[in-house]
Amino acid sequence: MLEVVGLAAGYLGERVIDGIDVEVKTGEAVAIVGSNGAGKTTLFRAIAGLLPSTEGRIVLDGKDLTRSPAHRISRAGIAYVPAERHLFPAMTVKTNLVLGAYPGRPDRGTLELAYDLFPRLKERPRQQAGTLSGGEQQMLAVARALMARPRLLMLDEPTTGLGPKIAQVAFEAFAELKKQGMTLLIAEQQVPLALSVADRGYVLENGRIRLEGASDELERDPEVRRAYLGVV
Amino acid sequence: MKAAILDGIVLGLAFGLLGVGMTLVYGLGGVLNLAYGQIAVLGAIVISVVMEKGVSTLLAVVVGVLAAAGVAVLLDLTLMRPVYRQHGEERTLMGLLLTLGAAFVIGGLLTWRYPVGALYINVSGEPISILGVPMAVGSIWASVIALAVGVVLLLFFGATTFGRGVRSVIQDETGARLVGINPSFVRTVIFALSGALAGIVAITHSMSGPLTVNAGFELTTFALIVAVVGGLGSVAGAFLAGVLLGIVNTLSAHYIGQYITSVILLGAAALTILIRPRGLLGR
Repeated sequence: MLEVVGLAAGYLGERVIDGIDVEVKTGEAVAIVGSNGAGKTTLFRAIAGLLPSTEGRIVLDGKDLTRSPAHRISRAGIAYVPAERHLFPAMTVKTNLVLGAYPGRPDRGTLELAYDLFPRLKERPRQQAGTLSGGEQQMLAVARALMARPRLLMLDEPTTGLGPKIAQVAFEAFAELKKQGMTLLIAEQQVPLALSVADRGYVLENGRIRLEGASDELERDPEVRRAYLGVV
Repeated sequence: MKAAILDGIVLGLAFGLLGVGMTLVYGLGGVLNLAYGQIAVLGAIVISVVMEKGVSTLLAVVVGVLAAAGVAVLLDLTLMRPVYRQHGEERTLMGLLLTLGAAFVIGGLLTWRYPVGALYINVSGEPISILGVPMAVGSIWASVIALAVGVVLLLFFGATTFGRGVRSVIQDETGARLVGINPSFVRTVIFALSGALAGIVAITHSMSGPLTVNAGFELTTFALIVAVVGGLGSVAGAFLAGVLLGIVNTLSAHYIGQYITSVILLGAAALTILIRPRGLLGR
C-alpha cells in the first residue's frame, strides 16, 4: 500500500534521514523504532507532506505523493497523528471530530466506531479539546484522524506524555483498530509496546534503516535487545 | 447621556465592522494588513465613479465591494506569497512592510487620479426616534448593515464547514493541514472577504458623512485598535470591542471634549494590551 523508496529529508540543508526504504502492506501494522533523534518524526513528517523530501519517492497505492502538500496527502488517505497532536484547542471534542472529516461530515458509523474505541471521548463531546488530559488528547487526535476513513494511519510517538497505564490502554485501542482492518505505521521509543502490536518493524538509527524484520525476529535480535529492550 | 450611549453604539458598530476584516486576516497568518484602509478608500472611489456614470446606487455599491475584494485577492496572490513563506517574527515584519508599501501605492494612485475624490451616499429622511433620541437615517442604516454583517459572519464561522475550517487554521495550522485543509486557499478566501468588508465599511462610513480619498490610514489605525482590543482573530471580539470603544469615544466627547477622544481611545487600547494582551475575546 505505502512504498517509501530512498527517501531523504531534513532541515536547513542538513539531512536528518537518508536512503529510507519502508513498505507497508494493506492491513499490516508496522513499527518504526529507534531512540530520540534517530529521525522517526522527520520520516513521518516527510511522508505526511509537512516537510519536503529532498530525494526519493513516496507512493500510496501506485499514486506518487512525493511532491504533494500535506492537505492532499491527507485527502489521499494517509492520516498522520503527530506526537504534539495539533488539535484545535478552543473547539469542542465533537467539532474536532467533525473537522477530521473535512470537507465532508463524519458519517454516524465512523463516529460510533471512534466513540466505541475511546469511550472517554463519548462522555465529553462538548468539552474544549485544550482542557482534556494528555491521554484524552491523544485519543481525540487518533479519533480525529479516523474520521476521514483513512487507508493508512500513522502514529508518531503516541505514548508521549502518557503514564504507563494510559499508554497500555492506547496500544490496546491500536490493536483493536488493526483487528478491524486498519493499516498502521507506528513510530515509538517504547519498543516492547510497539512490537506488541506490529507485524513487522524497522530499526532507525542516525537517520538510516539499521535493521528490519518481523516483530518476533526483532525481539530476539541481540542488538535490539541490548539497545531497546533493556536486556543486558 | 442616553443619546451619547446610543451614538456610541452606532459608532461602535461601525468600529466593529472596521475591525473585523483586519482581525480575521491577522488571526489566519499573523499579518496585519496596513493597506486595509486604502482598500476601503479604493472601494469608495470606485463606487463614486460608477455612481457618477448614472448607475443605480445599489449596483455601484456591489461593483465597489467586488473591486475592493478583487484588489485584496490580487494582493494575496502576489505580495503576500513571499510573506507566508516566512515564519514567526519575520513573517509579521515582512507583512507589515509589504502591506505598508501597498498602502502607499494604492493611496498614492487614488490621490493622484482623484485628488478630490470622495464618496457620500445620501440616505435622506427625517430622523427616526429611538428610545426618545432622534437618530439620523444614515446612522441607522449603517448600524443595521454592520449588525447584519456581524450575524452573517458569526453564522459563517460557527455553522458552516468552510467557516469551521477557517477557525481550525487560526487555532492550529498544522492540525488543519493534517485534516485536509489548504491554509493557503483559506487565506486567499479570507483576504477576499476582508477586502469585501473594507468595501462595506466604505459604504456605511459614507452614509453619515463623506469618505475622502485620504482617509486610508485613519481607517487602518482604528481597525488596528479595534482588532487589538477585541482579540486578534475573533469576530465577536471585534464587535464587542467596537461597541465598547464607540461608547468610550462618545462619552468622552460628551463629558470632556472631542479633542481628547483619540487619546482616550488609544489609551483604552494600550490598557487592554497591558491587562489582557490577547484582547477581550482573544485566546
